[in-house]
Amino acid sequence: MTRRAAAALCLLSLLALAACTGPQSALDPAGRDSATLSRLFWFMLAGAAVLWAAMNGLMFYAWRVDPRPMSVRGARTLIFAGGVVLPTVVLSGLLGYGLSIMPDQRAPGDGLRVEVTGEQWWFRVDYWPDGAAEPIRSANELVLPVGSRSEITLKADQVIHSFWLPSLGGKTDMIPGRVNRMSLEPTDVGEFRGQCAEFCGESHAWMAFTAKTLSPDDFAAWLTAEAAPAAPPRTDLARSGRDAFMAQGCGGCHAIRGTPARGQVGPDLTHLGSRLNLAAGALEVTRPDLIAWITDPSAIKPAARMPAYDHLDTGTIAAMAAYLEGLR
Amino acid sequence: MAGRDKPDLPAHRSLFRTILAPTVWAVHFLFVYGFSAVWCAKDWGAAGTLSWSITAATLLALALIVGLAVAMWRQWDYMDDNDYIHDLSTDEHRREFLGHAGFMLACLSFVAVVFSTMPAWFAGTCL
Ligand code: HEC
Ligand SMILES: [Cu+2]
Repeated sequence: MTRRAAAALCLLSLLALAACTGPQSALDPAGRDSATLSRLFWFMLAGAAVLWAAMNGLMFYAWRVDPRPMSVRGARTLIFAGGVVLPTVVLSGLLGYGLSIMPDQRAPGDGLRVEVTGEQWWFRVDYWPDGAAEPIRSANELVLPVGSRSEITLKADQVIHSFWLPSLGGKTDMIPGRVNRMSLEPTDVGEFRGQCAEFCGESHAWMAFTAKTLSPDDFAAWLTAEAAPAAPPRTDLARSGRDAFMAQGCGGCHAIRGTPARGQVGPDLTHLGSRLNLAAGALEVTRPDLIAWITDPSAIKPAARMPAYDHLDTGTIAAMAAYLEGLR
Repeated sequence: MAGRDKPDLPAHRSLFRTILAPTVWAVHFLFVYGFSAVWCAKDWGAAGTLSWSITAATLLALALIVGLAVAMWRQWDYMDDNDYIHDLSTDEHRREFLGHAGFMLACLSFVAVVFSTMPAWFAGTCL
């Protein structure tokens, strides 16, 4: 490789650093757990860099600086020290450091309790405020208060999924028939992206969610709003959309609190209009996206467990989209 | 007495003796994982007690491994002739090769058993 090509490659690799920030990066932490994890990463990386430099330094020394053969005794000592003693000491240190952060990562949450269930291919999200007899149900979006440790219960419906919100913490599998747990303590207010991290079928790559962190006061206000029933439609278009929604049987799979729609097969749509994503991160909550989704879900998410409604006329679908968009 | 005149017992020819230390490691590893899983699933008691039980199992395993390491070191008989190349098809070379390999496997097993115990010291809870 010429020098110029090497320099160009170096510059190009700098581009990769751009991926270190953003809404889904463990290296751009916004929570106590992810901050610990990113510290662990930098510590390990620094250690690896030192070892790499030392090995190459030795190689350089043996090749270029002093290529004469060593004494057998010296070589044996070097192999023993560098091949047995050094790795044992270094690995013990790294393992000890890595393990020492475990208790914090698994600390019990003493704040909000949330239950997240992995479905094909979306997340059911149930908030259990103190003393609640019934959860406040939502989907595909996790809202957490900053400054306290929320306890997150993880379940799965049919197949294994994995809950991963890199900006806030590590990942934990969701396993059918088993209750896993994790806890997260956000430190910064912001919007983040999580992703299912265990292959779970055709639309696994389209199984994401958004997370929002709010100050405790904002969170309390948000939770009150979330617990309320859905807003009634305000325009004629939205009203006819609601009627079409009920007439088409969408309510057999979807619940909209405050309406006859009570289905629990698909995501709860009560406050869909205030959410940051549609269909588990595949789309946005805009009218064109809603129309595209209702018309043919599998065209957007392969094998999606919702039937296509492309037999309806576009006006009906547009009306339903207007209704759903207004569910704030 | 030179190495070649030393007695060559059946135990010195045993491949199984050579891999006994890694076997102790394997059994200890299985015990640590299985016992912790059952302990936590059945809610048998405080995680501290679990951690002490694992440490006790570790001490037992380490004692066995040290015993094996000493036996293998004797079989290698390094101090006798400083011999660490065993490439001839003679009784002495086979004996010392198996001893040498067994000794190193015992050292590796020692470190490995300590490593698989460390999580029990740090984790501190069943969660
Ligand atoms: C057989 C059950 C079923 C029926 C009937 C059904 N859906 Fe769905 N719907 C689902 C499932 C399952 C999902 C989640 C799909 C995914 O994200 O992979 C979904 C997702 C959605 C979403 C996105 C939800 C979110 O949280 O982002 C909207 C909007 C939606 N459906 C609207 C409708 C409308 C409108 C109708 C009626 C015209 C309808 N659905 C009928 C099962 C159904
Ligand atoms: Cu999944």
